[in-house]
Amino acid sequence: MATLHLLSRSPFVDLSGASCLRLLGAGDGLLLTGDAVYALQADSRPFAVLSALPADRPLFALAEDLEARGIAAPDFVQAIDYAEFVELTLRFERVNSWL
Amino acid sequence: MKFALALFAPPHAPSSRRALRFAEAALAGGHEIVRVFFYQDSVQLASSLTVSAQDELDLPAAWRTFVQEHRLDGVVCIAAALRRGVLNGEEAQRYGRAGHNLDAPWELSGLGQLHEAAQEADRLICFGGD
Amino acid sequence: MAKSLLLICRRSPWSGPGAREALDVALAGGAFDLPISLLFLDDGVFQLKPAQQPAAVQQKDLTANLQALPLFGVEALYVARADLDSRGLSAEHLSLPATPVEDAHLAALLDQHDLVITL
Repeated sequence: MATLHLLSRSPFVDLSGASCLRLLGAGDGLLLTGDAVYALQADSRPFAVLSALPADRPLFALAEDLEARGIAAPDFVQAIDYAEFVELTLRFERVNSWL
Repeated sequence: MKFALALFAPPHAPSSRRALRFAEAALAGGHEIVRVFFYQDSVQLASSLTVSAQDELDLPAAWRTFVQEHRLDGVVCIAAALRRGVLNGEEAQRYGRAGHNLDAPWELSGLGQLHEAAQEADRLICFGGD
Repeated sequence: MAKSLLLICRRSPWSGPGAREALDVALAGGAFDLPISLLFLDDGVFQLKPAQQPAAVQQKDLTANLQALPLFGVEALYVARADLDSRGLSAEHLSLPATPVEDAHLAALLDQHDLVITL
């Protein structure tokens, strides 16, 4: 039983990322989309937080959003396309989008 | 597998485009979309009065074409739509408004349609935010 | 058997129609006899603050919608304890009784439900 959380807002202006981490349990996944991928900006505070997450909380980011923002996926994040996004939602029991 | 999709953000929000790309990928992957439900500000995607600049993505048109081509069930929450000035002919007449901006393939209905789709589908995927 | 839904309410009552529209999702589900739970999180906990005066900003009273929840069979109400604490609210003084949940137990609360919608 696990949840895939979807984030879309910048961690620098919005609480959704911080609140999401409070709900993230073992086995839960996190998919960064839109401005939420700014959390992967190297040397940033959110980057440090995400890189320290336990390995049983897999991290994903939408490849097109990384590309648009000129951010490279670090080794602890798997960049995915839309076909993989669809299949990813089926690997979890439920999907929770932070609006 | 069966997907129910729900949208919450206005047409210009990146998440509304992301939802369309997800929907396309789901169908391309051999999955079924039991319903696309438009709630809160996303109801504006169903307005036929949006005018996009020629060199910009016309997301309301893209969603309309997608729903039509694949004969999907595109349901717009009636309460959220009325509140935001999105009306079909029947509602425009009911409330004495000068015109309407919602036509086929869109259908106005209640929140029960969101629940019904979520119950029927294997996954409910919501799109909102930025 | 019907799938259970956890609705996570994060909006303050005064930030636009968001809070009311989230409750409408719960009420509609309750009307269909679906098993629905609510979790008030972040600024959503302000929905439970007593003695608010919506008329001061020409709004309808959200409390009426909240009070209607049990009538629609929505009786499982939870509130994030940490968000009450950080906002100076007490679980003993809310407009509607909600069970406080510690952060450490939030993931388990999601696991108890088939569906989650955060609004």
